[in-house]
Amino acid sequence: MTAYILRRLWQMLPTMLGVIVLVFFLFNWVGGDPSYILAGKMSNIDQINNIRHQLGIDQPYYVQLSIFVKQIVTFDFGSSWSTGETVAHILETRIGPSLIVLIPMTILETLIAIALALGIAFVRGSLTDRAVMIACTVGMSISILVYIIVFQYWFAYKLSLFPVQGWGEGVWENLSQYALLPILIGLAVSVAPTLRLFRTFVLDEVNQDYVRTARAKGVSERRVVWVHVLRNAAIPIITYVMSNLPSLLIGVFLLERFFGIPGIGREVILAVDRSDFPVIKAITVYVAAATMVFNLLTDLMYKAVDPRVQLK
Amino acid sequence: MKLLSLLKCGLLQGAIAALTFLPMQASMAEPTADPQKVLRYAFIAAEDGFDPAVSRDLYSAHVVQSIFETLYTYDYLARPVKLIPQTAEAMPEVSSDGKTYTIRLKKGIYFQTDPAFNGKPRELTMADYVYSFKRLLDPRLVSAHTWLWDGEVEGLDELVAEGKKTGHYDIDKPVAGFELLDRYTLRIHLKRADFNLGMKLAHEPNSALAREVVEKYQDAQGQVMANPVGTGPYRLAQWLRGARIVLEANPGYRGMTWDFQASDDPEDQKIIAQMKGKRMPQIGRIEISVMLEDQPRLLAFQKDQLDLFQLEGPLAPRVLKDGKLKPEFVSMGAQLSRIVDPEISYFYWNMQDPVVGGLSKEKIALRRAIAMAHDIDDELRMVYNGEAVALDYPIPPGVVGYDAHYKSSIQHDTAAANMLLDKFGYKIAADGWRTLPDGSPLVIKSTAYNNSRGAMQLESWKKTFDSIHIRMEDNRGQYEDMLKAEKACQLQMRDSPWIADFPDGDNFMQLFYGPNTGSNNAGCSKIPEYDRLYEQTLTMPAGPERDLLYHKMTRILEVYTPLRMGYARVRNMLAQSRVIGYKKHPILHCEWMYFDIDKKK
Repeated sequence: MTAYILRRLWQMLPTMLGVIVLVFFLFNWVGGDPSYILAGKMSNIDQINNIRHQLGIDQPYYVQLSIFVKQIVTFDFGSSWSTGETVAHILETRIGPSLIVLIPMTILETLIAIALALGIAFVRGSLTDRAVMIACTVGMSISILVYIIVFQYWFAYKLSLFPVQGWGEGVWENLSQYALLPILIGLAVSVAPTLRLFRTFVLDEVNQDYVRTARAKGVSERRVVWVHVLRNAAIPIITYVMSNLPSLLIGVFLLERFFGIPGIGREVILAVDRSDFPVIKAITVYVAAATMVFNLLTDLMYKAVDPRVQLK
Repeated sequence: MKLLSLLKCGLLQGAIAALTFLPMQASMAEPTADPQKVLRYAFIAAEDGFDPAVSRDLYSAHVVQSIFETLYTYDYLARPVKLIPQTAEAMPEVSSDGKTYTIRLKKGIYFQTDPAFNGKPRELTMADYVYSFKRLLDPRLVSAHTWLWDGEVEGLDELVAEGKKTGHYDIDKPVAGFELLDRYTLRIHLKRADFNLGMKLAHEPNSALAREVVEKYQDAQGQVMANPVGTGPYRLAQWLRGARIVLEANPGYRGMTWDFQASDDPEDQKIIAQMKGKRMPQIGRIEISVMLEDQPRLLAFQKDQLDLFQLEGPLAPRVLKDGKLKPEFVSMGAQLSRIVDPEISYFYWNMQDPVVGGLSKEKIALRRAIAMAHDIDDELRMVYNGEAVALDYPIPPGVVGYDAHYKSSIQHDTAAANMLLDKFGYKIAADGWRTLPDGSPLVIKSTAYNNSRGAMQLESWKKTFDSIHIRMEDNRGQYEDMLKAEKACQLQMRDSPWIADFPDGDNFMQLFYGPNTGSNNAGCSKIPEYDRLYEQTLTMPAGPERDLLYHKMTRILEVYTPLRMGYARVRNMLAQSRVIGYKKHPILHCEWMYFDIDKKK
């Protein structure tokens, strides 16, 4: 197991190198020149050249790339070109609000989708099953923007069940007050597609021989569902959940924009608007690293859930 | 005996200490702000930070203007705007040639308390202003405001050049142009006449910072974005970046008595009745939320979670009808303060472009025909829901030099535009599109921002070009790429906006000055007659003589048509009924220290 883990960690290095080179050349080629924005309205060529010099973007590409690699290795991406805030501080302070929304949302989405999927898989073909599937299809067809606008209008404004927007100081204050409506909207958007997917996973298991055998042995339906079927359906469910975890680092920028949540998603969009490369590069590299780490964790979890799996 | 001596000594020391602090106490009037008076405000975009020399965005400028002070500011009620002293004792003494300014500072103004001052009260001096002015040009800061002093002051450009050459900007090196006569008096020696220096000194990048604060809190780039310490009416109490800013009244602020005079606006009498004689600031706490989207802003206002906010273009039809509040907002007691922003948006054609540029009759005819074919009112209805006013003059309302009676010779007339093109050889080919006089295809590329507004603008211009049978291509791109191409004179045509940095006509007429090509002259126009007249205006103070030259210059622009005047947007500010004495100022970003909150509502 240790050898496997070490081998996988070692394999991450060339992948990360590829990501670094791709990100670097992509942003230098496609991304705009931020010095024109930083120079302000009354700018001239001397000023713009000075800014390019101060930011280091007048250096040859190989020098800039080596600086970028050094930043990754030392975990020091410098400061935002627009605000002067250190990139480390940006990530530290913005990831928290995003996670306060996304972690509960992910947990609830997964639990609700699993429970509903298990429930309706056993009444496949019935009116209940069809009604739920139609509701899921309709739900998936509606843009998240519509959910946000309608929910904010009705639940926050008309019914005063939640604040219209805002963010407080403490975790509990945010979790119990400001994050509730964004989480509800997130669930409304994400449960439908997740439920459909998990239902498919469960259906693949429900008609297997081992289920018939378990029933024949007199095992209760509850045990058949929650112990035998769920365990076997867990592998694709784990794959799905773990593959979505790196996106926690990107946040949900639409929810953050509409509800005034100072999260990482909104920060990414701001950084893209401003061509704030230090921030964009840092987030891209961290998401790439997180994806690789979560992939490794996924494989390790397979082993834990299904001892038959061999890690080679 | 010994005890008596000690007692006398102690009493003497106490008296000396009291006398030393007496001026400070005298100037630090009783705090007037009521902490129970809370103003809840919204920003529509996130702030950058609060270093006056570095902050570029409008929202950071709100906070900077509340915490720091410039030598001059603007009268709250006067329209057109009027410059008044803030930390200066009086208006500057200006030499007849406009090259020497003598300014005296009020005594007894103190920075808010901060650990940078080691527990001692820190008085504001003219040396702080000189330090702040010089700091603006530090190459490390990459300030967007260097234009305020570039090429202006004797000896300053040389200091900057030396700094760039050696890699060390010696801010302590004396500069001939900033002559400190004493602790409170500064004499500025300019290289050339500048009758607008007073207004530039009112611009918030020229706020006073204390050197100790900069040295204590600066980051690697020399910026102090997170620790604003000023002499102004407010201080930063809380900051959750991009989400929430809380300002509290500065207990050490000297205060002022509200005593503004009415302008022609009939609303002013009501404001004077509400505010006259009050010690300001009255509002003790300002809670600013960053609300990027329209819906939450409006809903928060309707739920009484916001007291004052800007009603942006797309929201206006939901709240206003024909420029007035809809009945449901009137019944909730909402108040509207509405101004035309001191800005212009004009449509330029690149005068260096081989297709649309140049001073030949054929090119002038082409540009004039396009200008005449464009229905500006239709564009404003489509793009801004009517919340903008068409302009005839390059200087907008509220800015010194504006002429409300001026009428442009270029009016919307599609038939005349087509006749003009026919006359100058732009024939309609078999495919229905016009060609150049030499028969080659005529295609004009119109550039706009890559957003919904840009798309609507291009749609409007497409209608214009279709009406005169000219093929138009649309060109949308990233903002910084557009700027880069524009400064390199590579864009053929664009709508270029410009908002006043200071409320003088020069800030607008310089947009069309030839030598400003590559900088602010977006259309890269070089018209010798215009340039000659512009240079004359630089030697004149504002007044009828200069206005006459501005008229001539505007007619020259119409003759050669390097641009078509566009519009200025309307700014609508919506306030709850508890906000009293509020009137949106065209130049001041925030007026928090000039109005009040009725706690009973």
